[in-house]
Amino acid sequence: MIRRVLVVGLVLITVLLLQSTLFGQLTLLGVRPELVYMVTILFALLDGPAEGAVVGFVGGLMQDFLLNEPKGITALTLTVLGYTVGLSRQFITSPSPLVPAILVALGTAAGLAFHSVVSFLRGEFPHPIGFTTKVILLAALYGAVLTPIAYPLIRRLDEGARPRRVVRF
Amino acid sequence: MSASLAVITLDYRQGTSGPLAGLGEAAQAAMAPLQEAVTGVIRPIEDFFSGLAHLPTLEDQNRELREQIEVLKTRIAADGESRRLYEELLGLLGLQQLNPDSVAATVIANGVSNFSWKVTIDQGTTSGIQVDQPVIVGTSDAPRLVGRVVRVTETSADVELIIDPDHAAAAILDGSRETGLIEGQGDRDLRMSLITPTTEIEGGERVFTEAYEVRGQQGRYPPDILIGAVARLVPADNELEAYVTVKPAVDFSDLRFVLVLKVPTEEPA
Repeated sequence: MIRRVLVVGLVLITVLLLQSTLFGQLTLLGVRPELVYMVTILFALLDGPAEGAVVGFVGGLMQDFLLNEPKGITALTLTVLGYTVGLSRQFITSPSPLVPAILVALGTAAGLAFHSVVSFLRGEFPHPIGFTTKVILLAALYGAVLTPIAYPLIRRLDEGARPRRVVRF
Repeated sequence: MSASLAVITLDYRQGTSGPLAGLGEAAQAAMAPLQEAVTGVIRPIEDFFSGLAHLPTLEDQNRELREQIEVLKTRIAADGESRRLYEELLGLLGLQQLNPDSVAATVIANGVSNFSWKVTIDQGTTSGIQVDQPVIVGTSDAPRLVGRVVRVTETSADVELIIDPDHAAAAILDGSRETGLIEGQGDRDLRMSLITPTTEIEGGERVFTEAYEVRGQQGRYPPDILIGAVARLVPADNELEAYVTVKPAVDFSDLRFVLVLKVPTEEPA
């Protein structure tokens, strides 16, 4: 359990660091990838709704605290996103390697749209619809492009951190 | 989900002074060294200049900068990037000599959101940085406005860039001497509003910060810091005011070193 918490914590800190440094420069037409969204979706895909919701909540809260902006909105968004993606696993029957990338693209777009709507309802979203749409689409695309690199890494870390069953004879 | 809603509610009720804000500052303080390390790895050339922002006194800062400039001189012929950084640092040195009570800092992170335009610098309260202090770049001849400090920890500070939609300041047009309010619009040019519709404005006219004092409260920035140049004149859609778009004078995509001015910080009127 502790190993699992450490792995998830390290992954989240790493992606937040990358998002605020390297990917602040490596943008796609001015838009950076939403790595915490991607990590939440991938953990939810691998481990199910409960784990997805917990990873989403913790990752979202960490991002909220770093942003110095209204706290809790990203945590709420990613909690819902992680839970929803985790639930959707049972409906995915295709073994295609494209499934994680498609899920990341759709999940990121839906999550960012949800985040924008909640921020707007709180009166803290001054961005025009055109810019918001551009960010949602490009961040979703960027996430999908990065998924083939991130998914094997996260799956390996996730499997390595799972508790092993001990069989005594 | 309930926990998320509780956090949103607590944050909404407590504003910027509650325990959640404190947690945010603690998170930023913990991340700043890591961000600095990562930035150092991905931009190795910054290591060469990292001492710039850590020097204890102005005298030391100047001496160290001069030493760095001497070292840089030897590399200029072969390295165009070094030349650019040399000129940037030389300009910053001149700017710091004009503003002795200022702090040089290195940009260590670029924020984490697509909807927020902030950077993190590697100087904090231990260097005398406070919230609302202006941040500039440029040379002694032409200081250019970057933004203002919005959150500070012991060793780092968040700077809200002038292009952030939450940012607004008083500004004045260089030629017509018309004043107005300039606001960030994210990835688009700045918007300067509250301009008298009959004002004659030329494209490319420069826009500077405007100082003011109302009932003892001072404006956000000192006067005469270059903000940008008029990019587009927008016809007035009513008879009361017009606005122009302003192209920022700073290239925010490649911001490495800045100067924080320790002017008296008061809430803008």
